[in-house]
Parts: sequence; structure tokens; C-alpha cells
Amino acid sequence: MALLTVTKLSKQFGGLDAVADVDMHVDAGELVALIGPNGAGKTTLFNLLTGVTPATSGKVTLTTASGKVALLGKRPSDIAKLGLARTFQNIRLFSKLSVRDNLQAAMTHRYHENFFAEILRLPAYYKKEALVGGWTDALLREFDLTAVADLDAGNLPYGTQRRVEIARAAATAPRIIFLDEPAAGMNPEETAGLRELIEKLRTDFQLTVVLIEHDMSLVMNLAERIYVLDHGKMIAEGTPAQIQKDPAVIAAYLGGGVHA
Amino acid sequence: MQAKWKAALIWLVLAVAGFYLINELIVVGVINAFIENMLVTIGINIILATGLNLIIGFSGQFSLGHAGFMAIGAYATAIITQQISNTLGFYLSLGVGMVIAMLVAVVIGIPTLRLRGDYLAIATMGAAEIIRVVINNLKITNGAAGMYNIPALANWPTVYVFVCLTTLMIVNFARSRAGRAIQAIREDEIAAEAVGINPTKWKLAAFVMGAATAAIGGSLHAVYIQTIAPSDFGIMQSISLLIIVVLGGVGSITGTFVAAIVLGVLDTALQQFGALRMVIYALALILIMVFKPSGLLGRYEVSIKGLLERKGGHHGTTDSHEVE
Repeated sequence: MALLTVTKLSKQFGGLDAVADVDMHVDAGELVALIGPNGAGKTTLFNLLTGVTPATSGKVTLTTASGKVALLGKRPSDIAKLGLARTFQNIRLFSKLSVRDNLQAAMTHRYHENFFAEILRLPAYYKKEALVGGWTDALLREFDLTAVADLDAGNLPYGTQRRVEIARAAATAPRIIFLDEPAAGMNPEETAGLRELIEKLRTDFQLTVVLIEHDMSLVMNLAERIYVLDHGKMIAEGTPAQIQKDPAVIAAYLGGGVHA
Repeated sequence: MQAKWKAALIWLVLAVAGFYLINELIVVGVINAFIENMLVTIGINIILATGLNLIIGFSGQFSLGHAGFMAIGAYATAIITQQISNTLGFYLSLGVGMVIAMLVAVVIGIPTLRLRGDYLAIATMGAAEIIRVVINNLKITNGAAGMYNIPALANWPTVYVFVCLTTLMIVNFARSRAGRAIQAIREDEIAAEAVGINPTKWKLAAFVMGAATAAIGGSLHAVYIQTIAPSDFGIMQSISLLIIVVLGGVGSITGTFVAAIVLGVLDTALQQFGALRMVIYALALILIMVFKPSGLLGRYEVSIKGLLERKGGHHGTTDSHEVE
């Protein structure tokens, strides 16, 4: 069953077709990778799906417990509440907040706190804070971040910042998580750790994962299905084995006129 | 859990002790009318500046319109206490001023909070100027001549209690779900939206909250100074509050206290220098900014609970800050 369906999605920046008539679908529990040369429109596609950039035309439908919901035209915060979480290509943490606060800031839509309970510190406030504290502690353990919980997120090493960003996306209690080049700038050891982390998102958190990545060994090992985007157009779709042999994909990566 | 209550108790004891200390010093005669006036001015400035710090320091919205909301509070009190000139009238006017200021903040905030940085500063400055010009031209506010003979319904204990109350309110707000949301927006608005935080809603919440405290400060100002005029609430008033926030440290409530006290004392101490006063005052500001660019305290907060936990050697899992 398709969890997310994208139909004829397009985005024009002036005269440039950044994303043109893209069709794709993501099933519940799947790990889908989105690859393509630089400037192919991968990040733009993520931005359209999560509402950061408004689309020119097309349709995006999410299947929820209460039926199908059209995502285009919704605010990013409302899309996040519906269960689409993401990370960013250039890490966007709340740098001057602690790791713990980064995670808790991502949980604000999961509970309600009464204004008067907040400013008067009524028992209801402490009850809610204990609940959120419990969620946070569990996440910190899952992502191995307990040791750095009280440090400012901006001061952490690069690999750890990536981990915090993924943990923050998981803190929103999402159904689909979009990872935009999570392995960029990582050393092989960190990439191996990342691979375990993505596996964990699927098994322990039961999440559907959509991954943009240039590290082909990571993509080919992890992904069940791959979409290939080039110049804004979806040029191929299939299993890793099919994609590796696809002439259109080889042409896109190595240039035209290659006969394999 | 233990540290939490202990810290709250220590803050309460400190607040009461501070009250009695000032009271005793007045009885003994160490604090004369001149110093008492300085203390009240500092107190009112703390109320106004902590509200502004919530807007600038915590939600990251650069507002230059704080004097406008202060004017609303001051005029609500001045007008209502003309009719009901007793304590009840004062508290009624305080509530009315807060409500009007909050409504105006919503009206101003919805269009302007979309703007960022310096654009927002100019828009809020314009909004405050509109409030001032309206007051300048209304009959009920007595126009440019301002209002005088406002009954003296507030003395230093009233201001002291309100400093404690508004600070408690703002600190608790900043260390809750709301506070985490507005600080996330300050750090990165796009990322905040991506984790389900509606920036418009939370920025507006902080703005409205700041406006309410500004109205409280304005009301106290009116009944303490007893004379107000539209020219008291111009851009210079907004800027002098901004100076307190920036000097103390953007995002530090403790810093706002320190800066308000330092500037208040400096201002009073320099009065004997006559014309040189503003020169020395400005020089002091420049020196502090050169040597402490992030303000006197940066983002540091005094935390009794933190101290208790460090001493006790056990680490709590809840937020480690609690001020006054």
C-alpha cells in the first residue's frame, strides 16, 4: 500500500524546470533512495514534499489512518505534524540549544501544555515535563547521545551533529523520515555507524525512510528501491541491481554515448 | 524533585529578605528619597526589559516598539484612575492596559512578525510611533500636554512585588514547551517549521506576552511618576530598554537585572556631572560593548537549583535553570 503518492509534481524557478512531472510512490516500511547527479533536483523534491518550497503543479497524497490527505499548500509545520520528518543537506540544528532541548523542541506538537500551568508551575506542568523528559531520555539512549545531552548542539563534532539531527527528526514521532545526504562529509567509520542508525530507524522505530545519498555503496546496500533523478526528470526506478545496469542511469552519470 | 522545591524556597527567602533589607535601610535612613526613586526606576526598567528580552533574546524578533505598549499601559492607568482614584482603580486599569496592549500586539504582530531582522525593527518602530501619534491627538488622553495629577497609587513595595511576579512569569514561560518552541525559531526558523513548530503562532505568543509586561511597566510608571506625556514614549524610550537588554546579554534574564541595576546606578551617580553625564554614560556603554560584546552576562543565568545539584553531586534530568 502506498503511504506517499506523488503525481506529476513540478517546480519551475523562472524558466528552469527544477522538478518536472515527477511521479513516485513510497510504501509503508520501505527504504527508498533518491539518487542523481549534482543539480538533478533531489533536494528541491524533498523541499516540495515537506512544504519548504511551494510546488508549481502536481499532487502529493499521504495515506493516514483517517484517509488520504493532500499535502501541497500546507504549511511545513502542519506537514511535520502529519508525520513527515526530515534532515537537511547543510545541517540545521538549533546550535545554541542543548541536545536535549533540540529533541524537546521537536516534540512540541506531541503534547499540550496549558499556559497557566506553565507560568504558575501547576502540577499539570510537572506531569507533562516528566512525560517529555521520559521520551527524551529514551531517544538519547537510542541514539547514543546521553553523554552529550547537556552540551550545545553547535559545539559537537560533525558526525555527532548529523546523529542529533536524525534524532531530532525521530523526536517528532514521524511516519516517514527524509534524510538529505546524511553521509556527506563523514569518514568511513562514521558512515558505518550511520548505516546501523538507518537500519535502527526502520526496525526499532518502524519508520519509512527516503534517502538522498551520493555514497553508492551505502545506497546499494541499504535501499530496496531506487529512484534516479536527472535534470528534474525521473529517468529510472527499480531495485539496486536493475539501476546499476540501466543505460539511462549510466548515461546520466558518465555522459551520453556510452555503450555498456 | 527535591532540588526543585529547595531552589524555589531559597528564591522565595531571597525575595523576602531583599524586601526587608530595603525596608530596614529606609527606616535607618541609609536609603533616602533620592535612592528610593532610583530603586523604583530600576524596578520598572527591569519589568519592561525582561519582557523585551523575551521578544528579542528568546524568540529572536528584533522589536523596537516596546515603548508603544508601555504607553498603552500608562495611559490606561492615567485615564481610569482619574475616575476611580484608589488602589482598586489602579489594579483595574492595570488589567485593562494589559488587555488592550495584548490586543494591539496581535494586530501589529500578525503582519509585521513575517519580517526579519532590521525590517521588523523598522516596522515595530513605526507601529509604536502610530500608537504615540494616536495618543497625541486624542481628547481623552489630553493630547500633547499629557496627563498630570495621576494619584500616587504605587510605592516601592508595589514595584518590588511586580518585579518578582513578572520575572517569575517570563522565566517560567521561557522554560516550558512555549519557551523551547520560541527558542527553536530563534535558532533556525526553517528547521523549527520542519519539526512541527508554527513560527507565526509562537512568535506572536512571545510578542503578546512581552507587550503585556510592557503595559504593567507603563501602569507602574504612570502612578509612580504621576505625570505622563506622549513624548515620554518615543523611540528613545524603546532604545533605552534595548540598551538594557543588549548590555545585560541577549537571552539572559539575570543579565537584564544586572544591566538595569548598573545603568540605573550609573545614571544616578553621574547626575552631579551635569553636561558631562551623557558623555560618560555613552562612553561606559561603548567600553562595555567593546570588552563584553555578548553583554555583561552573555547567556548565563543564575540557577540555585543548578548550584544545589552540583553540591549534592546528583544530576537531575529536568531543566537546570530557575530564576527567582
